[in-house]
Amino acid sequence: MIDLAGIPLPADAPPPGTCWRIERPAPELVRLHLDPPHRPKLAVFDVPVLRDLDLALAALAADPALRGLVIAGREPLSFAGGADIETIARFAEKEHAEKFVREGQALFERLHRLGREGGGRLCTVAAVGGAVPGGACEIALACDRLVLADDPKTRIGLPEVLLGIFPAWGGSQRLPRRIGVPAALDSILAGKLHPAKRALRLGLADRLAKPAYLWRVAEEIARGGIACPRRERRGWRLWLVDRNPLAGAAIAHLARRGVMKETKGQYPAPLAVLPLVVRAPRMRLATGLAAELAAVGPLAASDVSKSLVNLFLLSEAAKKLGVGPDGEKAPRIARAAVIGAGVMGGGIASLLAEKGVEARLHDLEPAALDAAVHAHRREIERKRKRRRIERPEADAALDRLEVTRAPVGFARCELVLEAVAERLEVKRAVLGRLATLARPDAILATNTSSLAVDAIAASLPRPERVVGMHFFNPVRRMPLVEIVRGTATDPGVIARVARLAVDLGKTPVVVKDVPGFLVNRLLGPYLDEALRLVEMGADPAAIDRALVDFGMPMGPCELVDEVGLDIAAHAGASLAAAYGGRMAATGFLGPLLAAGHLGKKSGAGIYLWKPGPAGRPANGGVNPALPSRRGPFTLTMVEVLDRLVLAMGNEAARCLEDAVVAGPRELDLATVFGTGFAPFRGGLLRHADAVGLAEIVERLERLHAAPDVAGSERAERFAPAASLVERARAGRSFHG
Amino acid sequence: MGSLRARSMDPEDSGGFNLPAGRRKRPGWNGIVNRDPDRRVVLAAGLRLPQARAGGVFAAEDAAHLGAAAARELLARAGVDPASVDETIAGCVGPPHDQANVGRVIALRAGVPRHVPAHTVNRNCASGLEAVTTAATRIAAGEGELFLCVGVEVMSAYPLVYNRAATKFFARMMRAKTLGQRLGVLASFRPPMFFAPRVALTEGLTDPVSGLIMGSTAEVLAREFGVTREEADAYALASHRRARAARESGRLAREIVPHVPPGAKPGARAVEHDDGIRDDQTIEALAKLRPYFEKPDGVVTVGNSCGLTDSATALLVTTAGRARALGLAPLAALRSFAWAGCDPARMGLGPVFATAKALAAAGVAMADIGAIELNEAFAVQVLACQKAFASDSFARAHLGREKALGELHPGRLNPNGGAIALGHPVGATAARLLLTAAHELAAGDHALALATLCIGGGQGGAAVLERMAR
Repeated sequence: MIDLAGIPLPADAPPPGTCWRIERPAPELVRLHLDPPHRPKLAVFDVPVLRDLDLALAALAADPALRGLVIAGREPLSFAGGADIETIARFAEKEHAEKFVREGQALFERLHRLGREGGGRLCTVAAVGGAVPGGACEIALACDRLVLADDPKTRIGLPEVLLGIFPAWGGSQRLPRRIGVPAALDSILAGKLHPAKRALRLGLADRLAKPAYLWRVAEEIARGGIACPRRERRGWRLWLVDRNPLAGAAIAHLARRGVMKETKGQYPAPLAVLPLVVRAPRMRLATGLAAELAAVGPLAASDVSKSLVNLFLLSEAAKKLGVGPDGEKAPRIARAAVIGAGVMGGGIASLLAEKGVEARLHDLEPAALDAAVHAHRREIERKRKRRRIERPEADAALDRLEVTRAPVGFARCELVLEAVAERLEVKRAVLGRLATLARPDAILATNTSSLAVDAIAASLPRPERVVGMHFFNPVRRMPLVEIVRGTATDPGVIARVARLAVDLGKTPVVVKDVPGFLVNRLLGPYLDEALRLVEMGADPAAIDRALVDFGMPMGPCELVDEVGLDIAAHAGASLAAAYGGRMAATGFLGPLLAAGHLGKKSGAGIYLWKPGPAGRPANGGVNPALPSRRGPFTLTMVEVLDRLVLAMGNEAARCLEDAVVAGPRELDLATVFGTGFAPFRGGLLRHADAVGLAEIVERLERLHAAPDVAGSERAERFAPAASLVERARAGRSFHG
Repeated sequence: MGSLRARSMDPEDSGGFNLPAGRRKRPGWNGIVNRDPDRRVVLAAGLRLPQARAGGVFAAEDAAHLGAAAARELLARAGVDPASVDETIAGCVGPPHDQANVGRVIALRAGVPRHVPAHTVNRNCASGLEAVTTAATRIAAGEGELFLCVGVEVMSAYPLVYNRAATKFFARMMRAKTLGQRLGVLASFRPPMFFAPRVALTEGLTDPVSGLIMGSTAEVLAREFGVTREEADAYALASHRRARAARESGRLAREIVPHVPPGAKPGARAVEHDDGIRDDQTIEALAKLRPYFEKPDGVVTVGNSCGLTDSATALLVTTAGRARALGLAPLAALRSFAWAGCDPARMGLGPVFATAKALAAAGVAMADIGAIELNEAFAVQVLACQKAFASDSFARAHLGREKALGELHPGRLNPNGGAIALGHPVGATAARLLLTAAHELAAGDHALALATLCIGGGQGGAAVLERMAR
């Protein structure tokens, strides 16, 4: 028996023995269905499920008539979502988390021993399908054979590293034994989920079966009625690669280098699991399992993991924004119009078309439309080439993008999204006209970044259907969409556009209609502070390096070049106009702007951008045309970091005071998905909590008094926000 | 319907159509059309893609994608809910081998929901008209009211086919089980199997009954009607000049939607115009060309024949009442249509036979027709038709009437140029003729227009369109 004593059960835990349904189609065969009554939608491995699996296995082990065992889900295409992340996140006691991991591993090992591969007398077969991530995959790996549902919905793999941990219920040991070290490393380090066919090719699955036949096929295999040889493809590779210490060292070295490049060493989980996977085929399983357990403990308790788990839960919660008050998803938008075929409009229309929404893109400029069509084709063909989509799907995605230079054909559009010039009268005119052409109940959305949604809505009939839908550039890469709620916006409209954002694979966050909304309002002081440091004589490359080391995906100077100096200046000016002193924007880059140096798009901004390999511009050093700077620069990199991050953090506190977002959790999510704020720090406010609010206030006050700041126009940005001071004084944190 | 009344009052008409007296009857569907003006069949909306020379800018297209592009845009512009379409009917002569019922693929790719049925019709060059007349007949029979009709052809995609010897070689290879058998089959390999493929395009343009390729049927007409090379070249030049003028005045742009074909290089602009129009065509250049089908004395050259072309046309066919309910102002009403058969070796005369029937069904005469779209398969064939239309003796010998059918007035014939300049995407052309003729009603302020064409295999098709009161 495993020992789960002392671990708190969830409040809705069902009585013992109810989480697994035991079916006995024949005297020698048992089908064990994971069917926990307290998780009617998606089963997860939580304490009651482990407890009941333990009971079930004990009963089966004692049954002399039994020959075969099939592990299955509630439905062929529904098994489990892995270990229960919320349970783990909620454990107050560190020992509880450790125990949960340890006992889960021991339990799966017992299942393994029941099977023939583990020396037992049963033939154990996992018959799974749908999403089979993490712990769900690990229990399947512990069976003799793995039969996978042959269905587009099937995805199987070990994505634990994405949560700052690694597969520790035997996954790090059993996967390399099954599919070889290189493939296992590839899977585990990137946290990849594989579709059914690839899983079969890798040898992760032994056989595929259509969902309707899945259980029957698994039963036959368990009884020995259908032969299902283990997909052993390793052959000579087992000796030459997996069990060869030299090859192992080389693989480990290369993989480590790849991980370091990808994560800059900021994420410990891939580095911790790497040696375990590489050594797995050369170790006894028991030794490997012990090593696995020892390595995962500190990770599970780490801040990085907590931050990542928290983010995961937040992004899952954000998806619920698309769900109406009745618990049903808001109605899908099937046809949309996008007005303005610039980079944003074209990108949004292309994404809509790819994700199954008919998109009618309108622009008066034919060249822009043609360019949008080409960009869409390139994107879809690229996906096709990488086998991400099949030919018919690609064709349908290509077909769904309609372009028109005449303002006709919008009659069936349920959503009109404008991405035209950032001028109030233009946007009003465009939406006003489209309101008469589209369905009378069509949602009118604006992709504005600097205008007020209310101002746009004011002139339109039925302003309750006007909403802001702020995508970020580049549309395909940026995961956040700010959904801007105007004062009149109907909640049903919010739910529908949130659902659309989720359908597009984006994370929505609902924000209030304030200048800059949330993300740009936070980025304003951050970017401006960086530019002012450059003005003071700092090396832009050094600033960028400091921020990248901190965990940002790119430094602020590069970000300005990426966004475009013109756009950044415009955004800065509109923020300054709205918020006054604390958002005052330096005009330092004015001369560059006047000379046509607009950033990456023009080949030069703060840096020089040369055409590099694969069409991506490469950094060619600091632009010599950068206006002469005052020097010498004396601040340390720690001070540099403080100025940028604290300027942003202080503004975040003000955003909370203004109720721009629902709360600190949503704000953290937006900073990570909208600004790329270091995910392992869990978001801006979580980072502030980690530093300590009293410390933050103190540092802000010091910055406020710094010689170059004190008395300057922008000094206010470092004056600690009232709510921050209050929280610090009360000893509270943002998330406390 | 007016046609019925007119028919009974016209004593000349009674001997028509080469039918034995006992089997004389009214042409089919007009008889069953409801007299209610709301039940008139109309072309509620229509548009087409530019027509591009085969092997050119649309070379990477396939018929389903091209047809769907036109159909999708039409549905969007008409603002019609695709779910309310009763059926999609596509005319296509050579559907790709992987899209045998290309109409169904077009419908689904255009966003028509799965529950709406779709089929493909083939009447060779008149397939696009067949799609529309099928819809009209169905409406008359009370089987549906709203039809999405498409004419489409991608002649670029016509395949080369392995010849019989090569096909047999592959079949034997697949049946061979043992290594010995395989080696035996391999030993039978002869290179000509693979260097003499069958050309689907050439074979498709050859009439299997008379054994004549289409160009040769035109040569027959040239000889019999005494059409000279000079006449043919002059006609071809006029076609290019008219097409150029129509393009430059924006007349053609009214029916065309620009299209960015797959395979276009990034940065390439959408195709906006028919690319077969030769702005610099001269009579001298045409005169230099050698006869293509009958050397050395033939009349038909590539310069005075239609070009092989890729394109698609989409039309929304419904009743006048339904169009009004949908808020659409129809391009034209379909007053009558007719199909006629003729000698396969003289298929170019098809329009004469079909027009005679269609005019009779409509109860009008040639003189009432303001604009004529007669497909220019070959300049020789158009000129031969012109002579036949105006000939009393031809009428007596073949149409069973005393007087000629009526003149094809040069000023009214193909005012915007024809297939010699614009190209002839076989399955799409007839729908294009309807669309162009329908637009011409308003452009030229006519009450009636005629669209007619010859059909490989010895047939003719004709439709009389009527301008609707606005």
